Amino acid sequence: MSMGSSAQLRRLKPLYQLVVNNILAIVAVPLAAAVLLRAASLGPEEILARALALRPAHMFLCAFLPAAATVLYLMLRPRAVYLVDYACFRTNPNCRVPFATFLEHSRVWPGFDERSVRFMTRLLERSGLGEETCLPYAQHYIPPSRDLESSRAEAELVIFSAIDDLLAKTGVSPQDIDILVVNCSLFAPTPSFTDMIMHRYGLRKDVRNVHLAGMGCSAGLISVELARNLLQVAPRGARALVVSTETITPNYYMGKERAMLLPNCLFRMGGAAALLSTDGAGARFRLAHVVRTLRGASDSAYHCVYQEEDDRGNVGINLSKDLMNIAGDALKANITAMGPLVLPASEQLLFALSFIARKVLNNRIKPYIPDFRTAFEHFCIHAGGRAVIDELQRSLTLSDEQVEASRMTLHRFGNTSSSSLWYELAYIEAKGRMRRGDRVWMIGFGSGFKCNSAAWECIRPAANADGPWANCIHRYPVHIPDVLKH
Amino acid sequence: MVFEQEQEEVTPGAVHGYRLSTVVPSSVTGEVDYALADADLAFKLHYLRGVYYYPPGDVARGLATKVLKDPMFPWLDDYFPVAGRVRRAEKDAEAAADGAPRRPYIKCNDCGVRIVEAKCDRDMDEWLRDDAPDRLRQLCYDKVLGPELFFSPLLYVQITNFKCGGLALGFSWAHLIGDVPSAVTCFNKWAQILSGKKPEATVLTPLNKPLQGQSPAAAPRSVKQVGPIEDHWLVPAGRDMACYSFHVSETVLKKLQQQQGRHAAAAGTFELVSALVWQTVAKIRGGDVDTVTVVRTGAAARSGKSLANEMTVGYVASAGSSPAKTDVAELAALLTKNVVDETAAVAAFQGDVLVYGGANLTLVDMEQVDVYALEIKGLRPVHVEYGMDGVGEEGAVLVQPDADGRGRLVTAVLPRDEIDSLRAALGSALQVA
Repeated sequence: MSMGSSAQLRRLKPLYQLVVNNILAIVAVPLAAAVLLRAASLGPEEILARALALRPAHMFLCAFLPAAATVLYLMLRPRAVYLVDYACFRTNPNCRVPFATFLEHSRVWPGFDERSVRFMTRLLERSGLGEETCLPYAQHYIPPSRDLESSRAEAELVIFSAIDDLLAKTGVSPQDIDILVVNCSLFAPTPSFTDMIMHRYGLRKDVRNVHLAGMGCSAGLISVELARNLLQVAPRGARALVVSTETITPNYYMGKERAMLLPNCLFRMGGAAALLSTDGAGARFRLAHVVRTLRGASDSAYHCVYQEEDDRGNVGINLSKDLMNIAGDALKANITAMGPLVLPASEQLLFALSFIARKVLNNRIKPYIPDFRTAFEHFCIHAGGRAVIDELQRSLTLSDEQVEASRMTLHRFGNTSSSSLWYELAYIEAKGRMRRGDRVWMIGFGSGFKCNSAAWECIRPAANADGPWANCIHRYPVHIPDVLKH
Repeated sequence: MVFEQEQEEVTPGAVHGYRLSTVVPSSVTGEVDYALADADLAFKLHYLRGVYYYPPGDVARGLATKVLKDPMFPWLDDYFPVAGRVRRAEKDAEAAADGAPRRPYIKCNDCGVRIVEAKCDRDMDEWLRDDAPDRLRQLCYDKVLGPELFFSPLLYVQITNFKCGGLALGFSWAHLIGDVPSAVTCFNKWAQILSGKKPEATVLTPLNKPLQGQSPAAAPRSVKQVGPIEDHWLVPAGRDMACYSFHVSETVLKKLQQQQGRHAAAAGTFELVSALVWQTVAKIRGGDVDTVTVVRTGAAARSGKSLANEMTVGYVASAGSSPAKTDVAELAALLTKNVVDETAAVAAFQGDVLVYGGANLTLVDMEQVDVYALEIKGLRPVHVEYGMDGVGEEGAVLVQPDADGRGRLVTAVLPRDEIDSLRAALGSALQVA
């Protein structure tokens, strides 16, 4: 195709989008005009005569059927679920771990050999993490403690401060909470975290509480979906508290397998609490869609992120080498499911046409990649690692500004697992980029292999930059070099 | 399950149960470089070891490790060079020519200060009464810089809990980063933050620059040239060195002052006490202690920088007669008037030197250092002793104020086999007449 014609096509695209996205209006207006003209031409007496000539049965059906259909639709459609507010755990400078300290600890403790330390150094340099990420108190020891008491202490610190923050923001009392969903993948003591929260805050006796363990880094959105489903059958106006966190203390890998050292370098302390409700009063976001894609049926996807023991009996999480490919496939499957729900008609039509063209005409025609920027203003991509964000930026053709929230969250907080999406949302709001009506796409990846995404629509942006980014947002965005030499 | 390094064989009464952790500055320092002055590099082979003893009681009971650690984060924001690590300058054309090791500097990478937690199954009173030589070493983590400079902390803080509830804080400070007054002020500031007070601002400017002058051809008489030192900054003395502390009471001081007689040039307490020790050591060694190196605080000469090596270094030669046979009063007079100042020469000298115990017995004046000001939540230490590591065979003597300020506490760093002789020889001298 010549340059001239593709430039012309680009200029025509907005017009095309306008037409196709508003096709109903474009068709309805002339139709209504035609009907009115016809009615006008017939005259009022003629219309009245025709109306009276109708049989009562037909009149009844004419009135009743649409009304019944409307009522049934209104009653049976799912209740809208709103995000009243959310709060992230604010990290404490007392838990800060600079690169130099992390590497020195690995070096000083004899359990890591020279090769492992060199590997971790190279990893950290290219990881995209900054110097302010935090590890729990127990991991500042050489060697780190992994005992149960320290793990509980970390979980309590993170979860309780996030919930305290959230309750203060929303003004909701613990007694008003009807549903409690907590997800923490790698640490699930008895009694569960939900019971721990009940104990601390004195929740009601009839709270529906569920703890999701082992669901990986994408569990944040799984909890949201579970809360949404429970809200459909709870009384109207019920409130659901969703807490996402990951406890790092018990999971420090103390062996020599390189594939299992990666989580040590990337995972950091973090957590978030969100309040969902079917009552939209005072809510800040509306949950539009949640799409979950599971690839566990395939062998390679299942073993992609696998917790196991190494030769010496050290437990760690083994990340396979084709993690990126599997993530890419899972993402494609997820977008394919999400696309029809969120894309405007113009994009869907183009995609359908290109699909048909590929099938019918010629398989070598490039598939049309829908432009998701027409569906969303903001993107929150799980800050799993630099490679994950790079890969998604490439496949979704996103600009640097659109992945900025993910990159900066990775820099400031590290990989906080399931709560990273909430830190990214907090970044966008702290930067003042959120407007009423903006749509947000949260994409989470995790073991399984699972790719989960959620679409939100903003009703009311945050009033100020208060939150985990409060004292550092003015320093962001920062430029993150490819290799951080130090 | 807590991972113990290995099952330790615990000698009854010994300090055991070491747990290491790290404290870093609370904000990002930004990878700046802290240049070391020539004076700093002159002292790089020495390590200050100071122990503060706090009595048992309610206050000490409330001092959990976390309570002690929390104020260290903002403290290190002010003293960020202390949290850095030693690096050597990048190779450049001039340095490569003479093949000398490249100039060290501190990379302020926020690596942090090492905290050591330990336990002792004895009561603190008993421990102090025992007067064991080298008890300092058990309460201060005795590491030095190197063999891996990249990963060697400049400061270790050991928190030892005694069975009775008493607490000992042991500081291991690399002399490189600052002299005794700098170190003590630094620790005092931490205690001020802990008690909720706002300490004075830390002054780290003007930046250190290498001296431009000519290096003396030979090492100054006060110090001994060693090395060249590669990356392990410790010159082991040929003999096993130990620190031994003893108290010089006010009465003994008065007696010494009265004995000055015709030398009533009013020698200060430092001169009197160190003269006494000089004479005693000379007697033990049977001569050969004709010259001593004197290191003094010299408050007037200080620039006001919070981290600096600004102590004056000089030597005194006993004219003619052996110090063993000379009066304490005469030696004290020598120490007052005949000190040959070599501070500038020591700093300018380019080789690696041992200042303390290198060339001669070294007398260190710590009189003007307020060691008892390290009050933790209003709790004053009952006893403080400062020793030194990396001291040469000739030995060192540190004179500091005691708990009520009227007597003196002396720590002698000498070869282990001289300690008993010293104890015996001093025994009579320290008795009140």
